[in-house]
Amino acid sequence: MSDGQDLMERRLSREDLLKLAAVAGGAGLLAGRASVAGAALDRLAQESGRLQVLDWAGYGYDGGQAMFVQYVKKYPNEKPRFTLMTSESNALAQMSAGLEPDVVRPYVGYVRDFAESGFVQPWNPKLISNLKYLNPNMVKAGKYKGKQYGIPADWGFDALLYRTDKVKPKEFSWSLLLDERYAGKISWWDDLYMLVVAGYYLGIKDPWQQTTAELKRSQKLLASKKHVVKFFWSDEYVMQGAFAAGDIWIAYAWPADWAAMKAKGLKVRYVHPKEGAISWIGMLMQGNDTPRPEHAHAYVDAWSSRKSGSWLEDNYAYGHANTLSRPKSKDLLRALQLTNPNALKEPNAHIDRYIPNRQEYAKRWREVKAA
Amino acid sequence: MAAEEPAEVSSPLIRRRRARLDLTTPSLLGLPLGWLVVFFLIPIGILGAYSVNALYVSIYPGAHPVTLSAWRDFLDGSDDLRLFWKSVKMSLIVSGLCVVLAYPVAYFLALSGTKRKYVLLLVLIAPFLTSYLLRVLAWKVILGSQGVVNSFLFWTGLRSPDDPVSQLLYSRFAVMLVLLYVWIPFVALPIFVSLESLDRRLLEAASDLGASRWQAFWRVTLPLSVPGVVAAFLFVFIPTVGEFVTPSLVGGTSGYMYGNDIADQFNRSLDWQTGSVLALFLLGVVALLTVLFARFLQIRQVTTG
Repeated sequence: MSDGQDLMERRLSREDLLKLAAVAGGAGLLAGRASVAGAALDRLAQESGRLQVLDWAGYGYDGGQAMFVQYVKKYPNEKPRFTLMTSESNALAQMSAGLEPDVVRPYVGYVRDFAESGFVQPWNPKLISNLKYLNPNMVKAGKYKGKQYGIPADWGFDALLYRTDKVKPKEFSWSLLLDERYAGKISWWDDLYMLVVAGYYLGIKDPWQQTTAELKRSQKLLASKKHVVKFFWSDEYVMQGAFAAGDIWIAYAWPADWAAMKAKGLKVRYVHPKEGAISWIGMLMQGNDTPRPEHAHAYVDAWSSRKSGSWLEDNYAYGHANTLSRPKSKDLLRALQLTNPNALKEPNAHIDRYIPNRQEYAKRWREVKAA
Repeated sequence: MAAEEPAEVSSPLIRRRRARLDLTTPSLLGLPLGWLVVFFLIPIGILGAYSVNALYVSIYPGAHPVTLSAWRDFLDGSDDLRLFWKSVKMSLIVSGLCVVLAYPVAYFLALSGTKRKYVLLLVLIAPFLTSYLLRVLAWKVILGSQGVVNSFLFWTGLRSPDDPVSQLLYSRFAVMLVLLYVWIPFVALPIFVSLESLDRRLLEAASDLGASRWQAFWRVTLPLSVPGVVAAFLFVFIPTVGEFVTPSLVGGTSGYMYGNDIADQFNRSLDWQTGSVLALFLLGVVALLTVLFARFLQIRQVTTG
């Protein structure tokens, strides 16, 4: 035995053992890396196929390519495929009818609705490298039951756009949308949020959770003033066309509309009503049954980058959740109040939120239109 | 007796031929019937299920029991019903005007004896070669505040550029005008077919009996072309009563129609139950009208001449 032990000690000195350990460790490490890489390759192979994105007009190949260019560079042979949504209800209707997008973009007021619908699942924040640069308040707004269902991207205001050469407002208030002096030259947004606006105008305590009696008041106001409205817009490009053609002078509008009208050389002003503008945040959500989670995360990470944000601000005049993004235009910087840390907070702006009795809001808004 | 002889012969060959003949009808009808079942009857059944909440799509919490509440709400004098009658009235006016305006054109093409009537007919339906959407959108350029009509008024001095006629676009008038424009060529076709198949000897007989051209038209041509006129009327009425594209593009708040209401129920309110009720009601009314017209005015004459 002792001879054998000697032999062993002689053959495997301490130095030899260390060498052996190093070789074994290296081999193990390599083997480990190889297995991780193999797993990633397997996952990517499993994730083959183009990413399906259910998004609004202007955010796909119809002008919004720059905002996901980083993703396309990463997956040049798997460019995303887009389906258009015209509203959150429309998106849910499409998903109910069998569409299974990997990524969908409702706005912040619908985060809970979508999360509860079962059509979406939470993100893995660790896979989104740009998350740390996103506005923490907006990131928080994307959470539901502690999970990150929504990754904030674009944001902006719902406020008043008017022609300064045609309109002389008595005050900067939502009342401008009801002004009899400009009957036939006004356009409202075709959305139940008009009832929220009416609620703020009427001084209702919580316009987002109006009681039936309060909703009736808001509905009555809108129905009684419907005659001043030329048309309800649901497509902002239609509204912009009518505004540019002089068919309307006053509109419920988004910052991009103001930028577009300015670009056309019109004398326009974009103002927040004294009751407070409504602010909104686009929330990128992950489809529940997505077979491409890594692609979906990569896509959202691309959208969250500083470059994408700056491009969005410069070209669409919307704000971006990435706090490092800044537009070139100082006018836009002021309009979006990007230097104001309270820009999106009460009472400066009323952030879009969950409406518990949305069904009743929807019904009453439809009745306003049909009246 | 001689005529009955072949019937008495019942060789296996004849029986096989009869069996083959018996299979011809179902095989010919099978495809269209299958098509109707898959793409018409089953979807209607699905709509029916949605209308009573047996099927549902909803993001709203709570139970979704089977109920007739949407039907009750609709029939209890809702805004939807009023909107339906508004759409029916608009559609009736458009259909009536289409027939009145298309009749002289069809009459000229069918009875003037011109050799190039089929070329002219092709010219008449040429707008169908372009997109429906483009044809509707073109009217925005014509009727807008800075459109063709207003520009002409500015040029003549009848209107100041600061005060254009703004009622032209985004109004009920705009919807009816555009629908009229879109459907006139379509209306002319059945009237043309009806008039062209008219037996000219009847007109000669009327003339021989001393009828003036007006009397011949009133007493002979018009009554015999009624089936074509009715078919033309229905061809416009059925699609326009549920129209939603044109009103959404040029209608504004006053041009909102029943079809827009249905589209909004499905797309914006996510209320498929009410949407299904509205759609089924429209389908029922249109089907009933079609049956009534077909029964009392013998619409089949359009094809038989």
